[in-house]
Amino acid sequence: MDIRTKEAIRYLGYGSHAIDDGTLALIESSFTELDQTADRRIIYRIFDVSCKEDDCVEIGSLSVISKNLSKNLKGCKSAVILGATMGTGVDMLLRKYALTDMARVVVLQACAAASLEDYLDEYQEKIRQEMKGRGLYLRPRFSPGYGDFSISHQKMILRMLDASKRIGIFLTDGNMLTPTKSVTAVIGLSTLEIPCHSKGCEVCDKVDCIYRRYS
Amino acid sequence: MLIERLGRELLYFDGGMGTLLQAKGLKPGELPEVWNLTHREELVDIHRQYFDAGSDIVLTNTFGANALKFHDSQYELKEIIDAAVANVKKAATLGVHDNREVYTALDVGPTGKLLKPMGDLEFEDAYKAFKEVMQYGEAAGADLIHIETMSDTYEVKAAILAAKENTKLPVTVTMIFDEKGKLLTGGDVPSVVAMLEGLRVDALGINCGMGPKQMIPILKEIMEYASVPVIVKPNAGLPKQRNGEVYYDVSPEEFADTMNKILELGACAIGGCCGTTPAHIRAMTQMADRRPVRKPKDKEYTMVSSYGRAVVLNRKPVIIGERINPTGKKRFKQALKDHDMDYILKEGIAQQDKGAHILDVNVGLPDIDEVSLMREVVCELQSVTSLPLQIDTVDIKAMEAAMRIYNGKPMINSVNGKKESMDAVFPLVQRYGGTVVALTIDEDGIPQTAEGRIRIAGKIIEEAGKYGIPKKDIVVDVLTMTISSEPGSARVTLDALKGVREKYGVCTVLGVSNISFGLPCRPVINANFYTMALQNGLSAGIINPSSEDMMRSYYSFCALMNYDINCEEYIRQYAGVTGTTGGRNNASVQQAGSESLTLKEAVEKGLKEEAHHAAIELSRTQEPLEIINQYLIPALDVVGKGFEKGTVFLPQLLMSADAAKIAFAVLKDVLAKKGGKTRQKEKVVLATVKGDIHDIGKNIVKVLLENYSFDVIDLGKDVTPEAIVECAVKEDIRLVGLSALMTTTVVSMEETIRLLREKKPDCKVMVGGAVLNQEYADMIGADFYGKDAMQSVYYAQSVFQN
Repeated sequence: MDIRTKEAIRYLGYGSHAIDDGTLALIESSFTELDQTADRRIIYRIFDVSCKEDDCVEIGSLSVISKNLSKNLKGCKSAVILGATMGTGVDMLLRKYALTDMARVVVLQACAAASLEDYLDEYQEKIRQEMKGRGLYLRPRFSPGYGDFSISHQKMILRMLDASKRIGIFLTDGNMLTPTKSVTAVIGLSTLEIPCHSKGCEVCDKVDCIYRRYS
Repeated sequence: MLIERLGRELLYFDGGMGTLLQAKGLKPGELPEVWNLTHREELVDIHRQYFDAGSDIVLTNTFGANALKFHDSQYELKEIIDAAVANVKKAATLGVHDNREVYTALDVGPTGKLLKPMGDLEFEDAYKAFKEVMQYGEAAGADLIHIETMSDTYEVKAAILAAKENTKLPVTVTMIFDEKGKLLTGGDVPSVVAMLEGLRVDALGINCGMGPKQMIPILKEIMEYASVPVIVKPNAGLPKQRNGEVYYDVSPEEFADTMNKILELGACAIGGCCGTTPAHIRAMTQMADRRPVRKPKDKEYTMVSSYGRAVVLNRKPVIIGERINPTGKKRFKQALKDHDMDYILKEGIAQQDKGAHILDVNVGLPDIDEVSLMREVVCELQSVTSLPLQIDTVDIKAMEAAMRIYNGKPMINSVNGKKESMDAVFPLVQRYGGTVVALTIDEDGIPQTAEGRIRIAGKIIEEAGKYGIPKKDIVVDVLTMTISSEPGSARVTLDALKGVREKYGVCTVLGVSNISFGLPCRPVINANFYTMALQNGLSAGIINPSSEDMMRSYYSFCALMNYDINCEEYIRQYAGVTGTTGGRNNASVQQAGSESLTLKEAVEKGLKEEAHHAAIELSRTQEPLEIINQYLIPALDVVGKGFEKGTVFLPQLLMSADAAKIAFAVLKDVLAKKGGKTRQKEKVVLATVKGDIHDIGKNIVKVLLENYSFDVIDLGKDVTPEAIVECAVKEDIRLVGLSALMTTTVVSMEETIRLLREKKPDCKVMVGGAVLNQEYADMIGADFYGKDAMQSVYYAQSVFQN
């Protein structure tokens, strides 16, 4: 079973339970449909980072007060800001099936999230190789909405990436990204290679979460 | 005059602005539009350099100057635009040395927001934002409006209408395509060209996104469809990154070189976008040397489009799905009366799945507000299907409302040879664009002869010409009469069909199934008449794509006449089907053996086909209500309990819910046939709160509540507290369910609860969503926190038991 399938199963709340054949078949056909429908796009830029007092971090024109992000970027002189999306077609697919097949919507939604993460991981690997040549090492990906990193920063992030024009990510009045299957993230660049494999679940305090990863 | 020169003389636009501003000190994140006032000299200097380099049309520095994007506490939009226009005019006096006539183009970029249904911006709000800027621009003395870098057909439609309806200026539009020839919102070249030409833009084209080389294939495709002058404004290559900075590296010479090819391909106006400089424009104008150009040839394609695709009627016969229409359909009428949008949308999706290319939309019923319903159905359909729509109504107001809100170039059903009809419909086509069905009937009725009908077609085509509506935008319907009451009428129809094709070369349409009213086994006659009509030149049959007979005629005709290359479609449809009785969908045959499943098992396992089958079988021997109580509800309970215990998971729960839903539908039909009454259902309102666009959780709860016989009023997502309260009061609702995904939107949830308590104190509120927990729910004053969908069902049951 590949990583994205495993992740999709986790997003569906199966935890450590075995998955049934019916759902697994649904997951497989959902990935196939997504691969046909999705129009994946990604963009990134590198900005200077300066960490100020009181958990304030400045990344280019982005000024953030966040304990979690400050910790994540501690010691970094620069950071990658990236945006990625699955495109508008996926949202259309979800709306369509919401009328006829809710089971498929739930599975598609999980698969789309897994597929997007997979896409980011793959791309991040390229960035990692590129940065290695410059003696820089990547910190874990950190997105608005994680911990105390407010989603109100999405606006500036999209502007800094020119993301609406370049890859078609927009913001709603409530600071949510559209298409809904889109992400932005910060990846700190550090001259020190410190093992920080932990990300997401492993650093989260909510240990009773049904979506928690056990690896 | 610019309009007279476009397409007759080669015209030069200017080049990039952003990089030059940055070189002069603009910081990332700073609003460039403010510089029109704070750095006038720098702006005038940049514009001057472009005039000096040979540009005829220079854009104002107003790309992001609209009320939705531009927020500055110090400066008003109007001041910015006045200054921006003045800066270009001043630069013209400094930079033009040869007395040539030059133009100030009000540059209009996107709002930076995505329109509904993909985003959250209302079409009319986008329109208002554009209107404001354009009115300032015209008053300030701009010579044309140049709408550019657009990636959404819907937004560009709002901008064009704003320009056309509020100013007298020429309008040119360029959009941003990717290397696959698609917009970021999915539109392709023919769909974009169809819509823009329908909206009567003065020129159209491509800018940004790519360098000149990458634009060549897109330009070729545009030239294949466009009849108006084409503009090309590439970047100086593809964006590259160095130390995190974006740069472009096509040199002026290389740029000019490729622009030469672009002129050879037929562009009439050229310039540059990101990364291009006065040096690029100078090299380009020197290379091009004012060579003569010609407007593209008028194309003869009859096209309709949605935001995502175009359908060309003259390449191969197409199918217009007829099912969204209440005529003779009891269930559909009821859906319209009940405002059952889901039912209507499902009809659309089903026809798409069966192979329709265009969907006819008719929602006319006496005592119904057709204008608002038509507008709503068109919007909703466009959020779930990318098929182009045919707006089918006799109510001119409903027609206009739908044409305005439609994303693309619609098909219009219909106009006829009566003066009154043409006077009403043609101005709408002229304004919004559209391909219009012309019925061959006039003040004297329907002619009994083919010649008579052909004559009326000619009259309509001629009258359309007076409005500038080309022949290709008229699709003639020579009318199908019922042969049981009018013997010989089929022959007249077929002769007329052939006649209009030969005489005018126009595309044709027919409502095929009218032929068989009053006859037994109608599909037999319908399908044969359909084949004959296709053979006589029918371009678009309005048919029921779920009719196996009709689809057989269609696929056979296309295979026989070589419209279906290598019979690929035919084979896809019928491979593995034997003999004359086989259907396209032989899934039920393959699944034989599973038939023995009981209804309870089928629902528990979430098998739809089997549930459907078992429900039909059972209904032969048992009463519907008995079946529901003995099998369906117990099955749902087993699954629900399993879900609670953690042995059944969400997808399985929903598969069972979907299977049960199908069984319920079967039983409902049985009950209706027997004349039995379904009991009054309890109403529950569901909504995702204001600011939140994630509605999956709400939809899950909806499916389950419906299974447990609740009547769910689904208000959708991003719903204001006021709308929720208004509905609760109006419908006298006892339970409202609210969903929110993000911490930031729990605030709207709280506000909704507060308002509900004030206006509808007896109404209970249950809440759910990723960020909520019991503590949070208590804090915002909810009556119940549902940690999952089943809990909401149990709570709803408890509310109505008391």
